[in-house]
Amino acid sequence: MTLISLKALKHRGNLNKGLRWWPEGNYGDHPALGDARWTPDLIMAGWEMAGTGKPPVAVINHQTGASEGGFDRLTFKEGTQKKKGIIDLSLRLNRREPRLDQMRIGLPWYGGGMSYGSVSDQVMAARALAAKSHKTLTCTGEGGYPPSMIPYADHVITQVATGLFGVSEETIQRAPILEFKYAQGAKPGLGGHLLGDKSTSEVAKMRESVPWVSLFSPFPFHSVYSVEDHRKHIDWLRTVNPDALISVKVSTPSDVDMVAVGSYYAGAHIVHLDGSYGGTGAAPEIAKKNIAMPIELAIPKVHKHLKKEGIRDEITLIASGGIRSAMDIAKSIALGADGVVLGTLDLIALGCTRCSNCERGRGCTFGLTTTDPELSLLVREEWGAERISNLYKALATQLENLLRSHGLSSISELRGRIDLLRYQGGSL
Amino acid sequence: MVDDAAMEGSAITKNPAGGDEDKSSPSHTFERYSLPVRDAPDLHSTPSRFKVSVDRVGLAKLLFKEVFHYRFNMGLVLSRPCIYGVFGGPLGGFAPREHECVGCLRCTIEHPEIVKVEPNPLRWGWGDDFHNPLALDTVDHESRSGSVPVRGQGYRGKFGGAGWDGMWTDMSEIVRPTRDGIHGRESISTLVDLGGSPPLVDPDDLPDTPTLSLPLPTFLDLPPAQSQQIDLPEIWHRAAAMTKGMAFLPVRTVLEKGCPTTHIAPFFSSGEEHLCASFHGTRLVEAESLETALALQRALPQSVVSLRMPYPEDPTELVRLFQKGIRLFHLVADFHGIGPQGRFVLDLIQESHCALVSEGIRDQCSLIGTGGILLAEHTAKAILCGLDAVALDTALSIAIHGRPPGGFGGRDTRYSFPHIPVDWAAQRITNLLSAWRDQLLEIMGAMGLREIRRMRGEMGRALFQSILEKEAFSDIEGFPE
Repeated sequence: MTLISLKALKHRGNLNKGLRWWPEGNYGDHPALGDARWTPDLIMAGWEMAGTGKPPVAVINHQTGASEGGFDRLTFKEGTQKKKGIIDLSLRLNRREPRLDQMRIGLPWYGGGMSYGSVSDQVMAARALAAKSHKTLTCTGEGGYPPSMIPYADHVITQVATGLFGVSEETIQRAPILEFKYAQGAKPGLGGHLLGDKSTSEVAKMRESVPWVSLFSPFPFHSVYSVEDHRKHIDWLRTVNPDALISVKVSTPSDVDMVAVGSYYAGAHIVHLDGSYGGTGAAPEIAKKNIAMPIELAIPKVHKHLKKEGIRDEITLIASGGIRSAMDIAKSIALGADGVVLGTLDLIALGCTRCSNCERGRGCTFGLTTTDPELSLLVREEWGAERISNLYKALATQLENLLRSHGLSSISELRGRIDLLRYQGGSL
Repeated sequence: MVDDAAMEGSAITKNPAGGDEDKSSPSHTFERYSLPVRDAPDLHSTPSRFKVSVDRVGLAKLLFKEVFHYRFNMGLVLSRPCIYGVFGGPLGGFAPREHECVGCLRCTIEHPEIVKVEPNPLRWGWGDDFHNPLALDTVDHESRSGSVPVRGQGYRGKFGGAGWDGMWTDMSEIVRPTRDGIHGRESISTLVDLGGSPPLVDPDDLPDTPTLSLPLPTFLDLPPAQSQQIDLPEIWHRAAAMTKGMAFLPVRTVLEKGCPTTHIAPFFSSGEEHLCASFHGTRLVEAESLETALALQRALPQSVVSLRMPYPEDPTELVRLFQKGIRLFHLVADFHGIGPQGRFVLDLIQESHCALVSEGIRDQCSLIGTGGILLAEHTAKAILCGLDAVALDTALSIAIHGRPPGGFGGRDTRYSFPHIPVDWAAQRITNLLSAWRDQLLEIMGAMGLREIRRMRGEMGRALFQSILEKEAFSDIEGFPE
């Protein structure tokens, strides 16, 4: 073995121990970990679930953060029932086109786009392997389709974003779902940004760009000025791959409800709302806090409007941008979404501390958001897949328990059930 | 009218008498506005963000154990769990370099029994609720580098909150301001026009109302009181010139220094109007009282005259002052943005703007606001709520290492500055304004706006937490009435 491999082995072992020990509380408090949105408890709950595959036991508050708003103000009323039998967590993605596969995924969530370049090849493959084992999906993000993802092609969404990095007829034809990314919640209206340090030769080759040069995805699509143009875009993709479902990922502006309706009439099967407090590999700080609305406020707005328009049952509404726990998933669905997309939570399972240094120099010190050949060895595909898979199992168990306690037999019955929620605390 | 593209490049007054026109940038030549950014490193080190404590005995034991475990492969034994150099000094973990720590926590996850990382109370105890450590860090970063703070991962703070935190700005999925990005060939304009303008323009009888156009909606407000003798007026003047903007300075200071007024707006306290004789052709002057303002208007008909006043308790006061001839209002709150009756400027700005709108006179006058503007987003939000421009106070002092020893109190608070060179300080302020301008462009680009003048009072592009929460959650049990 080379010295680099030996070093990776050494540190992998140490990290594994640490990720197990910390949630057990043997080393006291960790005041440098976490923040108002992702509290230390939420992060360590992610580590615990990824280690055990069971709902957290060691971590006390694994359901809410300390942000004093949104999901953290909502709780479920105590359920008094004990529903027996199998609980159906599957999610139907195609609700409007009988010609195509209905495409049910095994869980009410799938993995959000993280591009090759923003994360390592190993992380992408680990997410894809976990998605396959749970009959759900993951997404390429806007950075091409690395060969390591090809074995999992039935579970990989090809993202078509404004820079069209790595998009080809081949990658479009390979995908069961094609995702147009109009905007990203963490940097709405700003396009994508891969810093030069992370654009290695391999990354640049995949993106057909110049190595070590920062890459910007423009904002917005430069060929879309209207819903009609959007329709034209969808037609273009469907010409290349007539069997794929179309998802439209948008941010959460004040007219997000109208955007969703427009997407439906343009032919989308899935509208994916990405709220403003979601994750990113690099974004101006000003954008993360200040532009567009958090997902908790956008879901009910869109859900109600789609109902009013009479098209709610013909389109799948997916929410993302700050989903941190099983209860956040359930609250999103109770507010009106059909399912959610997870991004940061997958990385938490792999050891992310949310230190916000993803973009700095060689990238993530845990080997996640990096393409550094040495650092990326800290994550092995199988290890990563097992941890994400464990996380998914633990989340599913918590959802099943919640549904049973409220007498529901499927996750789809939870949609729009705000009567099961209670708002706690004051408002402005 | 003067062409916008030309105005973009230079601070030129549309002054009928000519006055202080900037001859360096002829109006027929396009010069793209940009700010001369240059690194201006901190002059003194700030406390590190984190404290790294290492159990040295534990570390020695670990090394001893690993030497045998890894069979004297020292490259492997000494491989550190830190890529930022905290343990990269000659003594490794025995003398950690805390200043290099970015808080990734990998070291303490790998070795929780040996290393502990904690936030440094010296760093995180700075400032107050409004001038909080994160905000001070942001201003420091911007003034040091002139760049927009960019970091990985998502937002880390509270969901919303009082003041600016309870407001978001809008974006559009498909509308864009330019064809090739916000820094592309087509520029987004941050140019503002201040002063009065007539309700209707007759091309055969153009009005001679003086107006002032600036390439940035950002003034430098009066320098703070200070304990030392740092030449703040010279720093203000230099920075205003570098940014082609304007700085407010007391009129007696301007007279003492004898500096040109191209980038300076003399401030006249009550009773000082007799000092105005030297300021014919000055583009902007400011008065402390209505009487002084009216006297200055009579004495300096070619100048824009601003009335500095607290945010009014009753916003119709602005309408009354308009009727008496005031066309530029400079509304002032305290350093925390608190105005009359303890209310925050977010509400006060909207009320002031709406009072003028409802009388149909909003386009005939301008509003500058001071107080509560500490970060770039505050400027954007203040303009969305109705200001034409802002005048900065504490942000400028923080940029040049100024700290009030007893906290950010009232406007008579004395600041303490280290010894700072004028050039360095002017560069820091220039960097700060450049970073803020870039962030304004980001926000305007997201909204699809290509002129900041169009953003003024665009409350339809503002998202307020209180309203959105009511829309989203009012059907949920427990939501407050």
